[in-house]
Amino acid sequence: MRRLFMEPIGIFILAMICQVYSCAANVSDSVERMQYASVAGEEYLQEEKLDTNLGDKVFFEFDKSSLDAEDKNLLEQYLPFIKKAKIVRLEGHCDERGTREYNLALGERRALEVRDFLIVKGVSGKKIRVVSFGEEKPLKSASNENAWAENRRVEISLY
Amino acid sequence: MIKFFFLVVFLVSNNIFSILEIEILKGSDNLSKVAFVPFGVEDGIEESYGGQISKFIEGNMLLFGEFENLDESEMLSYPSSESDFYYRDWKIQGVDYSLIGKVNSVNSLGNLNISYSLFNINRRIKILEGEIIGSENNLEGISKIISNRIYEQITGLKGIFDTKLAYVVNSDPETYQICISNIDGKNEQILFTSKAPIMSPDWSPDRKKIAYVSFENGLAEIFIQDLISGQRDSIQALGMTNSAPVWSPDGKSLALVVSFSGNPDIFLYSLNNKKLTRLTNHYGIDTEPSWSPDSKKIIFTSDRTGSPQLYEINTKSKRKKRLTRDGNYNARGRYFPDGKSIFFVHGNDGNFQIATKKLSSRYIETLTSTSLDESPAISPNGNIIIYATKDGTNGYLGGITLDGKSRFSLPVKNGSVREPAWSPLLN
Repeated sequence: MRRLFMEPIGIFILAMICQVYSCAANVSDSVERMQYASVAGEEYLQEEKLDTNLGDKVFFEFDKSSLDAEDKNLLEQYLPFIKKAKIVRLEGHCDERGTREYNLALGERRALEVRDFLIVKGVSGKKIRVVSFGEEKPLKSASNENAWAENRRVEISLY
Repeated sequence: MIKFFFLVVFLVSNNIFSILEIEILKGSDNLSKVAFVPFGVEDGIEESYGGQISKFIEGNMLLFGEFENLDESEMLSYPSSESDFYYRDWKIQGVDYSLIGKVNSVNSLGNLNISYSLFNINRRIKILEGEIIGSENNLEGISKIISNRIYEQITGLKGIFDTKLAYVVNSDPETYQICISNIDGKNEQILFTSKAPIMSPDWSPDRKKIAYVSFENGLAEIFIQDLISGQRDSIQALGMTNSAPVWSPDGKSLALVVSFSGNPDIFLYSLNNKKLTRLTNHYGIDTEPSWSPDSKKIIFTSDRTGSPQLYEINTKSKRKKRLTRDGNYNARGRYFPDGKSIFFVHGNDGNFQIATKKLSSRYIETLTSTSLDESPAISPNGNIIIYATKDGTNGYLGGITLDGKSRFSLPVKNGSVREPAWSPLLN
């Protein structure tokens, strides 16, 4: 019974947070886009990557974007490295199940979940670049539970 | 600068082989049998033209497993005019319809007059006759017009033999192409090749342009490509991700998805004044818009209740209505041409299949039996759905006819093919 009441409250808070973000975004979107375009693409990926010796992926459940304790633990280990980095690139991905355009949005939401966690931990949002490839760039092309679990990921790279 | 990194190959015609080729998997049980009699040829005209035309028509009519044919070698006679036509020759072979015709010369420039007649053998009447004037260099095109007319006469549905498909080919992990071809896979043209993913092709109503999503600049961007000039223009919408473009029925605007910092919503984009108008505003994922045939509503996918479900929104009043309730995954909906039913991807026990639903009923009917089906597209006559599915690691296109439930596939020779988009009819 309590859960039933708690959920709408949670959703409401989430909605408020999203509203704040989207208002901020309206002002700076064009700037953000230009910055992104100048660092994205093949050229961007040829820049020197910061080596962390940490796992570079966090994984998700099907049609979910929430981080578990293990993911959060990994992300916290990134914090000292992020201080030295110029750019944190977060690349969201999905498995092949379901529809492509929905998965594009879901991959974005996964990457944003990571971004929001880092921001809460004090990382400047300006450093973070988010991109989703949906289900278009799987790590494993097989169609089974193992491949799907590996493909539902956010890849973290520092530059 | 980045743009130069990608190879732009425009309209490279590839007639030597086609990527797609239709294979009939299961025909319906009681198919109508049609005799495509080799057309007669007037003296002085290349004799093979008559056989070529009837073979082209036969190939079209048998394409989707909707008819069976009487083999030429089993025909008892080869009439080319009504006076030589005897119903008993066809009745005895169990034929339902016979097509005969004749090729006559118009002038010395190679222009031909092709006349044809279609007979209903069971009712013993001529049900169609017509004639077409065309060039001897365009026998295939002329045959498509005749195929459309006899298909329409027999089934009561519009013929679709001169429509086209657009699709995305992923021949290896680093090569993405957007292609168009005739519906039989012939005359394939590569519109654009990229090292980055390409998604969501959609035809303009006049068939002159295709909108799609390309990641060539590192993020999802919408491009419109002119099929004649090859020119590509990106839509400078704001936000992080722009995706899922679909043309309005009047061709004047696109419905598309813009994600302002991670909140994808449906917008209308006017192609005239480049103005973006918000249609949905919700913190959940709103995506995969598509127009109703009367342009008044847009169907879209939203996970606002926790799982992806289909909704429709009235573009004027902005009133929304939830369309699906059964199952925890109903996405990428499209309206049938009559606007009364929808088809979509339905997730059921971990299987993702193509399903239909009448708007007036709650009942969902699943059409396919494979497990990773997506991106369904419907023929402009509303009778055929093609969709993307997967066999092992390769994606291919599957198809189903809705009246007779015949099944076919369009296997690909190399790599994966997906996201079929069916062109509108020529006006």
